[in-house]
Amino acid sequence: MNDDETRQRFEGLALQHLDAAYNLARWLTRNEHDAQDVVQEAWLRAMRYFSGFRGEQFRPWWLTIVRHTCYGWLKTNRPFDLVAPGDEDGSATESAAPASDEPHEIAVRNADRAQINNAIAALPIDYREVLVLRELEDLSYKDIARIADVPIGTVMSRLSRARSLLRQALQPGARPALRAVPMPPQRGAKR
Amino acid sequence: MNAERLTSQQVNAFVDGELDLKQQLEIESFVLQDDLLRSQVEALRAVSEAVRAKADYHQVPGALRERLGSQGLAASRHDSLPGRTLALARWWRMRPLMTGLTFAALLAWATTATLLRPSHDDLVMQEAVASHVRATLANRLIDVASSDRHTVKPWLSSRLDFAPPVKDVGPAGATLLGGRVDYVDGHPVAALVYRQRQHVINLFVWPTTEHDKVVGVSALRGFNVAHEVRSGMAYWAVSDINREELMALLAGQASGGDR
Repeated sequence: MNDDETRQRFEGLALQHLDAAYNLARWLTRNEHDAQDVVQEAWLRAMRYFSGFRGEQFRPWWLTIVRHTCYGWLKTNRPFDLVAPGDEDGSATESAAPASDEPHEIAVRNADRAQINNAIAALPIDYREVLVLRELEDLSYKDIARIADVPIGTVMSRLSRARSLLRQALQPGARPALRAVPMPPQRGAKR
Repeated sequence: MNAERLTSQQVNAFVDGELDLKQQLEIESFVLQDDLLRSQVEALRAVSEAVRAKADYHQVPGALRERLGSQGLAASRHDSLPGRTLALARWWRMRPLMTGLTFAALLAWATTATLLRPSHDDLVMQEAVASHVRATLANRLIDVASSDRHTVKPWLSSRLDFAPPVKDVGPAGATLLGGRVDYVDGHPVAALVYRQRQHVINLFVWPTTEHDKVVGVSALRGFNVAHEVRSGMAYWAVSDINREELMALLAGQASGGDR
């Protein structure tokens, strides 16, 4: 296969999954312009590495590059965003899943778009990433593990933690609980 | 497996359908029996569904999509067969014009090149004058200082692949000051330095395959340059003395053997 064919094939696939790339970049950077920069950079990188792409699934491969580019970008421009809350300490993650009760249930179900968006944007990046890949991209744990470059066990604990944080954040008067998580001031979360 | 011992991760994985089939079925049966587990599962489903239903899925801005896609489109248009055929057809129609233009350009270039190209002698003359000026300016006229041709000639021939004819005295009373090896016309040459009154004369000598040529004098930037080819040797004399004296010097130099 010559270079032109390779490039055309890449562009066909990448355009098809461009929304996925942008959605991930947008959720990780929490800013439209930054996400565009990241996607563009990821595009060029992916084009460069596409010759090494051997017919695996394109979307996880492509999102791995987008995710990596995102982290590189954040590390340079907003290192504070990458401060992890230390999810691997085990104590929190090994706790039982929260039991449902009526008011909580209703709060989650009645949350409007803005509340949901804000709550996701407020999650630490490690949790946010896993949640977005799972719920918005509908990727398997295996693919998420590959994209986020962590073991599947970590994907599971992060996802579990992400959902539980989200649930808490959606409760009425949940602000204090949200602030307990060390977070940088929010940018781009409100539009 | 025990319903009470299930970790949060396992319940999440169950909700996501990520457990293997056996575990999946097992937990499903627990969920039916265990109220606590059921409420946990429902809570997770509620969160998952809320996110899926209400969280923004950001679509790439059209401008960016176009920008990224247009590179590919442009490339594919360029490479597509119809495009290529079209270009070929267009070129074919333009053929007579193209041929005409090509010939005209070629002709113009050839004419210009022939008419304007400095002749070989012109180039050598420039080099000889440049060498004369350089040597005079830098006061690097002489490597072997002697008025004795039996000193100068062996010195030169030991450094060159030829033996230049050297004369002590020119007919017009020029005296030999010495010699040096210089570089003219792409090869090392012998440079003999004479003095006539206060004028310095550089005489460049090297072997050539050209036919004999009588002395001719031309002027370049105020210097007179005399040139002669005789017996397979090219002579170039450069100085600021007058033409007649320079010609006389060169004529005497080139004629006969070493005297």
